[in-house]
Amino acid sequence: MPDVKVSNLNKIFGDNVVLDNVDFTIKDGEFFTLLGPSGCGKSTTLNCIAGLEQPSSGAISVGDTTFVDTDKKLFVPPEGRNLGMVFQSYALWPHKTIADNLAMPLQIRKVDKTEQRRLIDEALDKVGLLHLRERYPHQMSGGQQQRVALARALVYSPSVLLLDEPLSNLDAKLREQARAWLKRLQEDLGITTVYVTHDQDEALALSDRIAVMSNGYMIQVGTPTEIYETPATAEVAAFVGRCNFLEATVTDVTSTGAALKLEANGQQMTVDTPEKVTVGDHVTVAVRPEKLAVLPADDTAMPGTNVISAEVLTTSYLGSRFEYDLKVGDHVVQVVNDRGGLAGAVNLTVDPDACLIFPQADVLSEDAQALLTVAP
Amino acid sequence: MLLFWAVIIFLAVLVLAPVVPTLYQSLLDRPLYEAGGTLSLDNYVKLFTEAGFGQVALNTVLFAVMTTVLTLVIAVPMAVVVVRTKIPGGRFFAAAMQWPFFISSLILGFGWIAMYGPAGFVSVKVQQVLGFVPWNLYSIPGMALTEAVALAPIAYTFCAGALRQSDASLESAAQVCGAGPLRILFQVILPMLRPPIVYSSILVISMSIETLSVPLLYGQPVNIQVFSTFLFRNGLQSINPDYGVLGAASTIILAVTVGLVFIQAKLLKDAQRFVSVRGKATRPRRLDLGWLKWVSVAAISIYVVMGALVPIVGLIFRSFTFIFTPLQSPLQSLTMANYQRIFNYAAYIQSIKNSLIVAGLGAVLVSLVALLAVMVARRSTFRYRRVAEYLALAPQAMPGIIVGIGLFWAFAYAPFGLGSFIQGTLWALIIGFGLRALPSGFGSLAPSVMQIGQELDNAARVSGADWIKAFTMILAKLITPAFLGALVLTFVTMLKEYSPAVFLGSADTNIIGTTMLELWVQGNTGSVAALATIQIAITAAFVGLAGLLLKGHNRDA
Repeated sequence: MPDVKVSNLNKIFGDNVVLDNVDFTIKDGEFFTLLGPSGCGKSTTLNCIAGLEQPSSGAISVGDTTFVDTDKKLFVPPEGRNLGMVFQSYALWPHKTIADNLAMPLQIRKVDKTEQRRLIDEALDKVGLLHLRERYPHQMSGGQQQRVALARALVYSPSVLLLDEPLSNLDAKLREQARAWLKRLQEDLGITTVYVTHDQDEALALSDRIAVMSNGYMIQVGTPTEIYETPATAEVAAFVGRCNFLEATVTDVTSTGAALKLEANGQQMTVDTPEKVTVGDHVTVAVRPEKLAVLPADDTAMPGTNVISAEVLTTSYLGSRFEYDLKVGDHVVQVVNDRGGLAGAVNLTVDPDACLIFPQADVLSEDAQALLTVAP
Repeated sequence: MLLFWAVIIFLAVLVLAPVVPTLYQSLLDRPLYEAGGTLSLDNYVKLFTEAGFGQVALNTVLFAVMTTVLTLVIAVPMAVVVVRTKIPGGRFFAAAMQWPFFISSLILGFGWIAMYGPAGFVSVKVQQVLGFVPWNLYSIPGMALTEAVALAPIAYTFCAGALRQSDASLESAAQVCGAGPLRILFQVILPMLRPPIVYSSILVISMSIETLSVPLLYGQPVNIQVFSTFLFRNGLQSINPDYGVLGAASTIILAVTVGLVFIQAKLLKDAQRFVSVRGKATRPRRLDLGWLKWVSVAAISIYVVMGALVPIVGLIFRSFTFIFTPLQSPLQSLTMANYQRIFNYAAYIQSIKNSLIVAGLGAVLVSLVALLAVMVARRSTFRYRRVAEYLALAPQAMPGIIVGIGLFWAFAYAPFGLGSFIQGTLWALIIGFGLRALPSGFGSLAPSVMQIGQELDNAARVSGADWIKAFTMILAKLITPAFLGALVLTFVTMLKEYSPAVFLGSADTNIIGTTMLELWVQGNTGSVAALATIQIAITAAFVGLAGLLLKGHNRDA
């Protein structure tokens, strides 16, 4: 199965730039996810690959076949691309039975009747719905419909599988199970898959690689670990997983990183970073909630860690762990901890290498900022 | 691609056929088909100086304004009361508001004259009791009242639609704040109605400018002329019609109606921004008006009974009697003679057949054209798809009588003598009526097509079907119910229609409407009533049958 190559893709509606020079290559058999908030251009990118939208400029090819090349004025319509696609609403044809839904793409490809039957049964068996082949879509549950949609997209052995938020209409519990099942199926089939979602957990759990998109740009492409551990920008850090952002000023530059003064309460901390900073720079420190630890104020911290004095605002018991909202100066910091029962004045500790620094950036919405600000 | 272009060109030819000759004629100093004409603005000068057009314009404005005000006075309170308050029989009234849709305003006019005209049943009765009749139907207010009764359902539909769509929690919020039902009514519900009121008024104004029936029936005897009757008289009744003046007058009316429809479309587009809640259906809790609800029920009953029911039932009664007057019990003069007259003359039977052919064949053709237009406008990536939509909706702005005049000229002027094949045949009527019915066909199909998720055909495309296969294998099946609905709607619309036929018809192609007008002029009111009853019966039978069939179909799906 071939690589998917998307080069310099642009899409412009009037003055509105929907895709801005999007460029990536998906390797054979890879599970590739386009992740971003709604309106970031991820679905447009997918639709351009499917041929449902025409890019303003750019090229898309799968293996040796070019689907679109605006320079050569080449455009292959969707029906000529042999791709499989699952839509957010599943788009099962309501007037056809499940078997007939799967039969249509085969009829179009002039597959003979007995072979059709074999392929349909095989595809339905793969998704565990063989016994429901004569049902109509409205007689099935959402989860079953979703699997039928997948079977329909796979029944004619497409070269690439395109998935447009296929799990977003399932309820939360089922979604997690469907996720694991989908991952296994994709690994078994080894089919190159392009997956569009706004759900970062889904993206992290499923993907071989993730492309984070925002406002038509592709901000970062990388493995789930790279995206989570070393986000390229504060925006990626904010979008993928939860993150605390603290404003600070650089007071000293060391060989491994920098010393900072927190604007929230004036305390000092050190940060390990490859980032080049100079004294006097205003920066944003990003720390994931699980990288922070809370200690009672009289406990001593491990040497070498940063200690920031804080005060417990609220404690939430989440079953497997505790979540604290701490007050640092006028700022709320969120911490996830195994240890419950802390109250009043506490110490917040964090390793210098667990912090990331970015040039000062407004990554949080005004609403989020208002909710994270308290009287000092 | 070729198909898209074909659809657009076909629509353009259809829509422009009556318009271009009209514009051209208005600037020409002699009839279009005579050689050697020169272009000038003389016709317009003549229209305003000699032809007495000033009085006509004034009458038209008065008529339109009064109709609009009366329509709103009837429709707005009724929409609020029926949709948003608890009244006994609310469902019945909501359904009853749809009835006047199915009856042509020509028939409604006949019915009103039969009951409330100078010699009408009710008028005579009132004369007996009071010694005088406190109204005069043959006046501009009389016309406006009848027209308002006929057009109120349109304003009602707009307002009721807006009320049903609006978020019920807005009212709940007011209630929680401590507002009583009346305060909610005036401070929450009515202000939300501003957009539908504005655009339904514009629609009513343009419809009352183009309507021919009521002004013709009421205005002729007392010589009150409005735009449409002016065209009727100058184009048809004068021995030597001045085509130039006719063209100029048509152009001016066309400009006014196009302008109005344009404003309405613009407002409608803006008004959609008011719709904040979509999808999730909230069942509005109805307000309890207390004793006021009985007042509202009485008011609505008066509208339905006196406005529509009494005239129509009266007309049906009239068709079975020699004379229809309270001075003598109608039961004493029961007769089938009115029907006999119709069924004894081949020409009258032919007109019924013609109506059925035009409406039946026309409905199929119009629905197909409308479907093509909807597919191009809403389901293709064709660059000029919006043009298809504008063209399909454009006839909204074309008064029936102008469609008639314009096509008449178009056929007379058509190249290669094509027009002579069509002129005077039923095809001419099918084209004229079909053009007028196209917007309703488009309007009823477009939302249904939009409701079918684009993803369903995208899924077909991705799995290998081209545009045409995606349509035939997926969409065609899914839009069948909507298509049948459009067939019913266009059939009823075309069965009611008659004004283009005034110019396009010939002795061989009379339809029920033109035959009724002819009989009316002869003073044969009994036979007019009989024909009207037949038309109502056809409509009722067809709508009833279609309702049953569609219901059965929906159960299958």
